[in-house]
Amino acid sequence: MTTTAIPTETKRVTATAPKRRPKREREGAAWVFLSPWVLGAIVLTLLPMAVSLYLSFTDYDLFNPPKWVGLRNYVQMFTEDPRYWRSVVTTVTYVVIAVPLQLALALVVALALKGMKRGKAFYRSAFYAPSLLGASMSIALVWRAVFNDGGTVDNLLGTGGWVNKPGWSLLAVALLTVWQFGAPMVIFLAGLQQIPAELYEAAAVDGAGKWRQFVSVTVPMLSPVLFFNLVLQTIQAFQVFTPAFAVSAGKGGPADSTLVYTMYLYDRGFVASHMGYASAMAWVLLLVIGVVTAVLFRTSRSWVFYASEGDR
Amino acid sequence: MPGHRTKGFCASAAALALCAVLAGCGGSGESAGGGKVVLRYTWWGNPDRAERTEQAVALFEKQHPDVDVTTSFSGYDVYKQKLATQAAGGDAPDVMQLDYRQIDQYASGGVLLDLAKQKAVLRTSEIDQGLLATGRVDDVQYAIPQGRGTETVAYDVGTWKKSGVPLPGKSWTWSQWADTMRALAKKTGKPGATDPGQSEDAFEVWLRGQGKALYTKDGGLGFTADDLTRWWTFTDKLRREGAVSPAEQTTQLDGSVENTPLGRGTSVTDANWDAPASGFLALVKGGVALAPMPSGEDGTPGQYFKPSMFVGVSANTAHPKEAAQLVDFLVNDRQAAKILGASRGIPVNEQVRDEIGPQLKDFDKTIADFQASLEGKLKDPPQAPPAGDNALQSTFQRDYDQVSYARMSPREAAENYITEAKAELRS
Repeated sequence: MTTTAIPTETKRVTATAPKRRPKREREGAAWVFLSPWVLGAIVLTLLPMAVSLYLSFTDYDLFNPPKWVGLRNYVQMFTEDPRYWRSVVTTVTYVVIAVPLQLALALVVALALKGMKRGKAFYRSAFYAPSLLGASMSIALVWRAVFNDGGTVDNLLGTGGWVNKPGWSLLAVALLTVWQFGAPMVIFLAGLQQIPAELYEAAAVDGAGKWRQFVSVTVPMLSPVLFFNLVLQTIQAFQVFTPAFAVSAGKGGPADSTLVYTMYLYDRGFVASHMGYASAMAWVLLLVIGVVTAVLFRTSRSWVFYASEGDR
Repeated sequence: MPGHRTKGFCASAAALALCAVLAGCGGSGESAGGGKVVLRYTWWGNPDRAERTEQAVALFEKQHPDVDVTTSFSGYDVYKQKLATQAAGGDAPDVMQLDYRQIDQYASGGVLLDLAKQKAVLRTSEIDQGLLATGRVDDVQYAIPQGRGTETVAYDVGTWKKSGVPLPGKSWTWSQWADTMRALAKKTGKPGATDPGQSEDAFEVWLRGQGKALYTKDGGLGFTADDLTRWWTFTDKLRREGAVSPAEQTTQLDGSVENTPLGRGTSVTDANWDAPASGFLALVKGGVALAPMPSGEDGTPGQYFKPSMFVGVSANTAHPKEAAQLVDFLVNDRQAAKILGASRGIPVNEQVRDEIGPQLKDFDKTIADFQASLEGKLKDPPQAPPAGDNALQSTFQRDYDQVSYARMSPREAAENYITEAKAELRS
């Protein structure tokens, strides 16, 4: 490793593996370029997280200095706050409705698009568009208008406005998420195209029909992608906020029916000015998401199949 | 989450200029490029108030060429949350509109500037002394009342007249009011009023009509679960009869006139504060008139004159003098008063009130006449609500949601509220 970088070599970088520069030099440059993000991560992520952990053990109303209360916020949350548990139930219900529906829809559309010869690009963009728009408040507001009384859905089905009925409002929120199935769909599509055509040919030769091919070839071959999407969408679903906030006009209503976890957290922090309590809620959410993800990873051993395992 | 956007913004700003790290991302009211003093002024209200405020601010800028005022406004619910967040971050706007319910919390939290220190530019001698005192906490003048307001039953004149039901007189009791709403609903086919069960303000009027109050002198609850149960039983029955708005409509209330049943054209009346009622004009084709709030069965009035809103200055402002000048302009300037009219209530400056009063036009005059008709009849206003009340307003609405969706009985919801309120007032 005595060579220094010369112009001809840099030009070849894309064609072949570059000759390595001394480690320290590479690292120095890396840190210079990374510094804005590293500083950003420290100042804007790690520091606030540390502060929030501290606040979770205090009583803090935003105006007066935080008062240390030890575990009181946590105790209150688990033993004295029925709304907290209502928000937990609402969130779990939401996750259970939204995630499977969204993944199923994404997979179905991906399968349909895979076999399509014409207009693939158009449909792919069309189905992906809601995911680009969906995070925005404006779309959520449109959603509210659509499901409001006198809105489109009301006019078509005579529902009287789902967002104003406690029994239906959470479904309206979940549908907004399901509708944004573009991101998992694109990932599914990529995964489907990775499956070698020989497998299908071999299966066909062995007399497997379409359904059998799907169950015995597509699903196992796709399982890593399925797993990836499941983990990602589950984590996201637990943190749902924008749709619930917009659809219920910031209140988690009607009658607390769309009071998902983060909405209640927001309510405690910014409406009732109990920042300490809100911080404690945030840390519990972090822990729960961690545990759920760990459980998903644990179960994945029994159903996720990596093709490379077979090659070994 | 709302935090995300800021985080993203800061991250890109950091990448470009390391601004986030060096400057702490976003200062307050710093002087801008041209050497001008920049003041941030925020308020809540309706488009009518916004238009007049913009005009007044433009006049202020003309009088003070070295000052630039950036303004923003939103509906009350959103404003309340945003201001709390800004204040907590030490980034409260230089000049901010405040509600009676916010004064105590903001003053004790050190958010507001002692305005007595700006006497040189901010005159208070012409302001009604009783009203002025409502902006004091522990004898420090933290805020100046901007107007005098009172609650009213705003109604759609056209629809009411067509219904054949006699128009409201100078007074009515709650049971007469209820009968009238039933009659209106029967004749017009739509609810007579917004369900008042969700409104802590309406409940307060009802309570005062019986000689009681929301809070005791030492900041505890002034009523019992029995009182609240009776109130909610009364409104629950009216809702079931269709005399007031159904749950699906009531739940959409967010403090803006646009989302009230009257504003949406689905009811004939709405109980509101008189100044924001001007917002109905643009929404109700048949014209809008004001009637007094119902009184107790023995004629005891429940409504009262309240400092409709305050204006305060941030303790962290870089330009206390200019900020105080803007406050002075909003409260004492005659031309500003002409532009603002009664959009924030009737002016508190007595000279201005006497001078501008007769010149008021249109709905401003309606409000002025309405207040004049109540002059001398009402009881003293209650003292400023304790800090926890800020959160209890939405708790009240939420607990009533459980009643109007028939998920709890009035008794259960009332007991729920009392428990929550006690916890909130203790902390």
